[in-house]
Amino acid sequence: MKRVIVITGATSGIGFAAAKEFIKRGAAVIGTGRSRESCGKAAEKNRDITYIAADLSSQKQVRDAAAKISLLADSRYRGKIDVLVNNAGTFSGWYQATEDGYELQFAVNHLAPFLLTNLLLPELRASGKGKIITISSGSHYHTKINWKDPMNRKRYNCLKAYKQSKLANVLFSYELNRRFSEQFNIRAYAVDPGLVNTGIGEKRTGGLVKWFWGIRRKHGISPEKAAETIIYLAQRDLEDNTFEHLIDAPVEKNWIYWKECRPKEPGRYSKDGAAALRLWELSERLCGMAEQRETAAFKDPETENPDLSGTRSVIKIDSEAAV
Amino acid sequence: MKSFVLITGAAGGLGKAFALECAERGWDLFLTDRDNSTLEKLAEGINRLYNIHIVYKTCDLTDDFSRRKLWEYMEENRLKFHFLINVAGLDYEGMFNERSTAELDTIIRLNINAAVVMTNRIIRYRDYARTFRIINVSSLAAYYPMPVKATYAASKRFILDFSFAIREELKNDDVTVTALCPGGMPSNEEVMRSIERQGFFGRLTTRNVGYVASNTIDSALKGKKLYIPGSFNVLLKVLGKLVPAGIIAMFIAMRWNHART
Ligand SMILES: NC(=O)c1ccc[n+]([C@@H]2O[C@H](COP(=O)([O-])OP(=O)(O)OC[C@H]3O[C@@H](n4cnc5c(N)ncnc54)[C@H](OP(=O)(O)O)[C@@H]3O)[C@@H](O)[C@H]2O)c1
Repeated sequence: MKRVIVITGATSGIGFAAAKEFIKRGAAVIGTGRSRESCGKAAEKNRDITYIAADLSSQKQVRDAAAKISLLADSRYRGKIDVLVNNAGTFSGWYQATEDGYELQFAVNHLAPFLLTNLLLPELRASGKGKIITISSGSHYHTKINWKDPMNRKRYNCLKAYKQSKLANVLFSYELNRRFSEQFNIRAYAVDPGLVNTGIGEKRTGGLVKWFWGIRRKHGISPEKAAETIIYLAQRDLEDNTFEHLIDAPVEKNWIYWKECRPKEPGRYSKDGAAALRLWELSERLCGMAEQRETAAFKDPETENPDLSGTRSVIKIDSEAAV
Repeated sequence: MKSFVLITGAAGGLGKAFALECAERGWDLFLTDRDNSTLEKLAEGINRLYNIHIVYKTCDLTDDFSRRKLWEYMEENRLKFHFLINVAGLDYEGMFNERSTAELDTIIRLNINAAVVMTNRIIRYRDYARTFRIINVSSLAAYYPMPVKATYAASKRFILDFSFAIREELKNDDVTVTALCPGGMPSNEEVMRSIERQGFFGRLTTRNVGYVASNTIDSALKGKKLYIPGSFNVLLKVLGKLVPAGIIAMFIAMRWNHART
C-alpha cells in the first residue's frame, strides 16, 4: 500500500518541491492550495498530485478541506494518512483580519495547522505511525507569545507576528506529542527549512520589506534542498542515516525540532510546557472546538428575540425570511 | 439595561477592526453588512475571543425596504444604542465616464444617504443613560476634489461637513460626533495592491487598520471632532486648505496617470 502524504501549501515553494519528491518516491500526495487557480496551475506541472483548494485563513475552508481529505483517504487509501505536512504559511506586511476576525498570520500559520491536524487525527491514527510535520522557522527563536494581544492588532509589527506564529508551530508540536504520541502512536515534528529562495516575503508585502526579501531570498537554498528534511522525517530513506535512529526515539527523548536532516535545539520558550498548554487551549477556543462543551455560547439561529441574560451570545436575525 | 454599538459595513476591513476594538472594550455589538454568511463567521470569531453579546442582521443600506426591516426589528425588541459607527461606504475605481449610472447612484446612496438616515434613526433609539457617540468614516479624499475618484471624494466631503455641523447641533444633548479621515489603509488585498500601485506616496499615507480603529475610538471617547491617522496625512490636510483646489486636482490627476502606466 502506498504511503499517503498530505501537504498544505503545495502549489509553490517548499511545499511543491516536497510534493514532487514524495511522488517520485512512489507516495500518494494530496496537496492543498489557496485557490482553484493556483491548484490548477500546479496540477499542470505535476499531474500526480491530487489538489484540494482551500483558503486556510478561513476556518470554514479548513474544515471543508479536512472533510474532503478524509473522504479521499477513505475512498482511496482505506482511511489512513501517514504524514501530514503543515507547510502553508504566509507573511503579511500589514495587519489584516480574516473573515473570522483573527490576524492573518496567526490564522494561516498557526490556527490552520492546529485545526487541520486535530480534524485529521483519526486518519493519522489509522496509519499506525502517523507523522505530523509542521514547517516552523529559525524565526521562532528569541520571541514570546503576546498573550495580551495574540493577534497583535493594535501594535502590529509584521516580523513580530511572523516570529510568534512560527514559535506557535514549535509549541504546538510539543503539545501534540505530549497529548497524543503514545495514545495514537503518532509523532509531531517542527522543521526549520533555513533560508529558502521562495516568494513568501513578496506576496503580501510592499515597499522596504518586499525589496529586502527580494535581495535576501537570493542567498537562500533551493526549495528542493529545503524539502529534504521533510522527506527525511517522513521516509527515513536518504543515503545519510546518521540521525535516523532519533526520528522515532522514545517520546521522552524525542527530538522535535529538525534542521538540515538533523535534530537541533529549539528556543527556550518553545519548551515551556505551560505556554504550550495555554496556546493549545486558546487555539481550541478560537477554532470552536471547545464550543460543544460551552453550551450557553450559541443560541438557536432562528431566535428572533435577543436573550441577553448570559455573559455572551450570538444572535442572527434572519432577514431573508421576512422578505 | 444593555445597549449596543451599531457598526455598519462591519464585514469589511475597517469594520472588522472596529468590531474587534469595541468587543475588546466589552461593548455589546449590533453588526450589519450586506452578506449574511460573512457576518455569521465574524460574529462567531469575535464571540470566541470576547465575552460580549453580538446581534447581527444583513441589511442593504441602499435599499429602503431593507432599512425599514432593520428599524422594525430594533423597535420591536426595544434595542438601545450608545454608539453608532458608520463605516459602510464604497467606490468603484476608475474614470467618471467609465462608470454606469447605477454605480454612481449606489456610491451616493450608500456613502451619503445611508449614513444620514442611519444617524437620524439610531439617535432615536439611543440609550439615554449614556453619552451617545457617533463616528462617521470620511476620508482624506474629502479634502480635495479628486479626479478618478470624483464622486467618492465629494461624498466623503459631504460626510465631513455633515459631521461637523450636526456635532454643533447635538452638543447640548450629550452626543459627540467624530469624523475619521484615513489615508490609505490596507484593509484587504485589493486595497493593498492599489496602495502599492501608488508607490512611495501610497505607503506614506497608509496606516494599519487595527491601530486606526483603536485610536478613533479613543478620539470619540474624548469627544474630538476629527481624527486623521498619521502626521503626514495631517500635513496633507493642511496643504489641502492652503493650496487652491484646482491645482490639487491637477496634481492628483497627474499622479493617477503615472500610477496607471
Ligand atoms: N522561505 C523561507 O526562507 C522560509 C524560512 C523558514 C520557514 N519557512 C516556512 O516554510 C513554509 C513554506 O514557505 P515557502 O517559503 O515555501 O513560501 P511560499 O512559496 O509562499 O509557499 C507557501 C504556500 O502556502 C500557501 N498559502 C499561503 N497563504 C495561504 C492561505 N491563506 N491558504 C492556503 N494556502 C496558503 C501559498 O499559496 P499562495 O502562493 O497561493 O499564496 C503557498 O503555496 C512556510 O510555513 C514558511 O513560514 C520559509
